Amino acid sequence: MTAAIALRPQFSLPLPMPVDAAKGPSERDHVIAAQKGSDEAFAALVRLHHRRAYAVARAIVLSHEDAEDAVQDGFLHAFRALDRFRSDQPFGAWLNRIVANAALDLVRRRKVRDADELPETVALPFRDPGESDELRRRLGESLTHLTDRQRAVIVLHDVEGYTHGEIGSMLGIPEGTARSDLHHARAALRRLLKDIRSD
Amino acid sequence: MTDHLKLHRDEGDEAITHGLRRIYAAPEGDSYWRGLEARILSRLAGAPTIDWWDELDRWMRPALAAAAVVLIAAGVAVVRSYQVEQESTYEAMLTPTTLPVETAVRPVLQEKRDATFRYLMTSR
Repeated sequence: MTAAIALRPQFSLPLPMPVDAAKGPSERDHVIAAQKGSDEAFAALVRLHHRRAYAVARAIVLSHEDAEDAVQDGFLHAFRALDRFRSDQPFGAWLNRIVANAALDLVRRRKVRDADELPETVALPFRDPGESDELRRRLGESLTHLTDRQRAVIVLHDVEGYTHGEIGSMLGIPEGTARSDLHHARAALRRLLKDIRSD
Repeated sequence: MTDHLKLHRDEGDEAITHGLRRIYAAPEGDSYWRGLEARILSRLAGAPTIDWWDELDRWMRPALAAAAVVLIAAGVAVVRSYQVEQESTYEAMLTPTTLPVETAVRPVLQEKRDATFRYLMTSR
């Protein structure tokens, strides 16, 4: 039963492209070429979007490592679903939705697996272990008191600068719900950090 | 949109936002991003293709469930129609016929009988 008809040709690592090659074809050109089977074009899309994809994933999951996993899962899903993408739509928004779903899925799986050992703080960036002032420590702790969605919304809005509509689209919730989550997240953080903020 | 929310912010929120930005700051340095890009691409290259057998296997359970539902529905329909047929046959047998007996008698025979009767009466 190993004889297989691939639904989509397997991805093969493209030759490295010069950094300024992205200035040539537009994103839409890359999408169309990737849909026709160009691995180089898909690699260009990865290059264009992996930073934003990381930011979206990082807002949802609790650690840097999980964000990397979610980004890789998201790009894999996007690659497999590329035939279903309409090239007249913005690729970034479509990809962000997929990455957000991958991140939410990862959070769900982590919750099931680590039900008995939930982290007490949101993991701080791996690159900067020395930095640990009181607000930062307390903020990391306070973030665990928010729901997953509230935390994602406040980070996507206040850190990444997405609009309520964009956040709603990414997380699959109405815009008004994103707005309400942001309001409640801010109120909760104000309450939890009241003593520090009044210093 | 954001103006509405800004009304609910105070000066302390800036400190929180600043703290959030430090916690959630993306890694710096092109080497990190090149590394992540390479990992994404190698993940794509190493991902197993979806073959038709796996795809078929994925649809097997829902297909079997749907087939079972169709079979049960068909079985119920057959049994029900058999019952209805039996009931109507039974009722038909019990229901008396409403056709008048006289219509079964041929007028020609009636006339012959009358003629015979008249002959007997007159021949005495």
